[in-house]
Amino acid sequence: MKQSRTVRRTLAAALTATALLAAAGCAPGGTAPAPAPSSSSSQAVVTDVAAAGNVTLKMSDFWGGSEGEWIKSMIQKFQTKYPNVKIERTQEDWGQLTSTLNLQLAEQDGPDIATANNGWQSLGTLAKGNLVLNLDKYSTAFGWDKLIPSTIARQNQFTTDFKTIGSGSLFSTPVARVSLIGIYYNVEKLNKLGITPPTTLTEFEAAAAKIKDAGEIPIAYGSQDSPTAVLLGLQAMYASADAINNFTYGDTAVTADQAGLTKAAETVKKWNDSGWFTPHHEGINYQDAVANYLDGKGIFRFEYTGSLGLTDAQQGKFKYIQLPQASGSGTVGVGAAPSAMVIASKCKNPDVAAAFLDFLMSKDAAQASADFGLIPLMHSDITVPEKMATLQTEAAGADAIAKSDGFVPYFDWTSPTMLDTLNQQMQLLYAGKTDPAGLVKAVDADRNAFLTGSK
Amino acid sequence: MALPLAFYAIVVLVPLAQSFQYSFYAWDGVSAATWVGLGNYITFFTDPVLQSTLGHVLVLILFFSVLPILLGLLSTALITRRKLAGMAVFRFIYFLPQVLTSVVVALVFKRIYGPEGALNSMLRAVGLDALTRSWLGDFTWALPALGMIGTWVTFGFCMVLFIAGISNIPTELYEAARVDGAGPLREFFAVTLPGLRAQIAVALTLTITGALRTFDLVWVTTGGGPGTATLTPAVALYRAAFVNPQVGKAAAIGIVMALLCLAIAMAISKFSERD
Repeated sequence: MKQSRTVRRTLAAALTATALLAAAGCAPGGTAPAPAPSSSSSQAVVTDVAAAGNVTLKMSDFWGGSEGEWIKSMIQKFQTKYPNVKIERTQEDWGQLTSTLNLQLAEQDGPDIATANNGWQSLGTLAKGNLVLNLDKYSTAFGWDKLIPSTIARQNQFTTDFKTIGSGSLFSTPVARVSLIGIYYNVEKLNKLGITPPTTLTEFEAAAAKIKDAGEIPIAYGSQDSPTAVLLGLQAMYASADAINNFTYGDTAVTADQAGLTKAAETVKKWNDSGWFTPHHEGINYQDAVANYLDGKGIFRFEYTGSLGLTDAQQGKFKYIQLPQASGSGTVGVGAAPSAMVIASKCKNPDVAAAFLDFLMSKDAAQASADFGLIPLMHSDITVPEKMATLQTEAAGADAIAKSDGFVPYFDWTSPTMLDTLNQQMQLLYAGKTDPAGLVKAVDADRNAFLTGSK
Repeated sequence: MALPLAFYAIVVLVPLAQSFQYSFYAWDGVSAATWVGLGNYITFFTDPVLQSTLGHVLVLILFFSVLPILLGLLSTALITRRKLAGMAVFRFIYFLPQVLTSVVVALVFKRIYGPEGALNSMLRAVGLDALTRSWLGDFTWALPALGMIGTWVTFGFCMVLFIAGISNIPTELYEAARVDGAGPLREFFAVTLPGLRAQIAVALTLTITGALRTFDLVWVTTGGGPGTATLTPAVALYRAAFVNPQVGKAAAIGIVMALLCLAIAMAISKFSERD
């Protein structure tokens, strides 16, 4: 009985403390910094970095591998150009950074520049909470409004009442490279079967059937933790770029069905039923799926560009296809800068920080992307090195999308919970516990609940 | 006395009170929060997905608590009736899973349960191909498969606890029971089980609250999937707090879990102290 008395006393103390907090009238979130933009927007932007004196900028980002090499070289170049600036970079794991960025930016000692996840899950929340700067004045000063393609700029915009994403003020910038969703193929294996790389969805399906008949795995896949690339890749082949853009940016006049999701889900289900995916894909996680594919198990794979982590020796062994729309006209594809660059509201030298973001969008940055095997963005006449044979096909994919002005955002930016919903619904679909219509219904329900504020 | 109390207040009580406060707000963790009263709690008990997490916990309690305790009692009864050579080695082996970090355990079992993993290979080797499946990707089997990991981990702990408990039971009691002509079964129920009541209470409290709080095992092996088939309140809490900005909801889940753990601990201690 002694124990429970202690427990009761503890509870009483906790309740008292709560009552005190409540009496003090402090609702959580009240400590967010006061809106800075109104005061600083009146000041002119100083674009002369060299004149800024000695400046140290702290940067947090989640780039590893060749992306990490890219940013290291960019920092190096910027510091060489402006010896008065020092950039202290901290690299963190993606999940780690996105889950703690709000706390980091709220700290007095936090980063000045950071990579945020687009959409409501991270960027929207940070912008709404006044933790990151409104970049409109820099956009004008540096000419970003003319440089960034409108479909990419939308990915970084929110209205200042923070009810709408995809229009309004710029709260982050892209970098001069892009990540797409498309199809990779194993060059050697496809050649061996005498199949030419497909150029339409119909040809792709014919090829998959032929591969299956030959006893190989047509589409390398693992759906245990990350099943969505194939669905989003297909969605872009069925819906117009406008429909997907508008759905993601909260236009309730567009339904998920109109955004191509029903057809995409039906196709995915058909492929699954035809046995075109890796057997037992429901028990294979993302990393294993990638490793299996690089090992030669499976011929096609829907994937985010850059995610295969090809070494120089592997360049050219896998090539990339950006299929045009199923209707045959134009190319739409999921494509976004691999992160949104933000400037912390507490940054003491925002002008210098903005100059660095500008540098990350420069032609130099785009050329450096290509040199590190990453797809450049926003600048033409970039030379893709000879040895980057895979990158050449990926860059061609980006060109095809750009020509049709067909960039669409990641569908899961629609709501903070959309990625969870998509993952769960796809697993239910494969297990026969829902159908394409049910999946689409759940997606609409998720978004509508978010838009009406009930989620 | 004052210093430890102040320390306890800062480290435990204040965050607890804060969580309690947050649980009444809809809050993204950054911008101003809006008061929603009991809304987050109502969501927890009406949202079918969150509701299902409580059902999953019941299944996990069976695997994390009931099964290991039964197995622990059974093996203790068998082992302690006769002095065996190499007992210390046995105990060490059974206790080993307790020593391993749960993330390591989870990673090992992820391999074992995989489509090409050891379990399926064994089934194929003995001609049971029909039983092979993606254990952690299967809606029916993912949760029991997770549960079995828990059984493996906690069984040794229960056994070691019970063996230690038995050594405290006066040998006269056993001798008296034998003089009265009690067989192994009678002896177990008349002497061993009552003598182990305190240890069983400890085992129940730790394993049940452990099941209720299961996070790392699920996070590393299935992430709550397939669908939401293995989602536990702790994983739902983590998602709400760190993946989706719904801090108020996360706090409400945390408070409900804390109250449940408290209620269970109190119920068990009351039960075990009754004569």
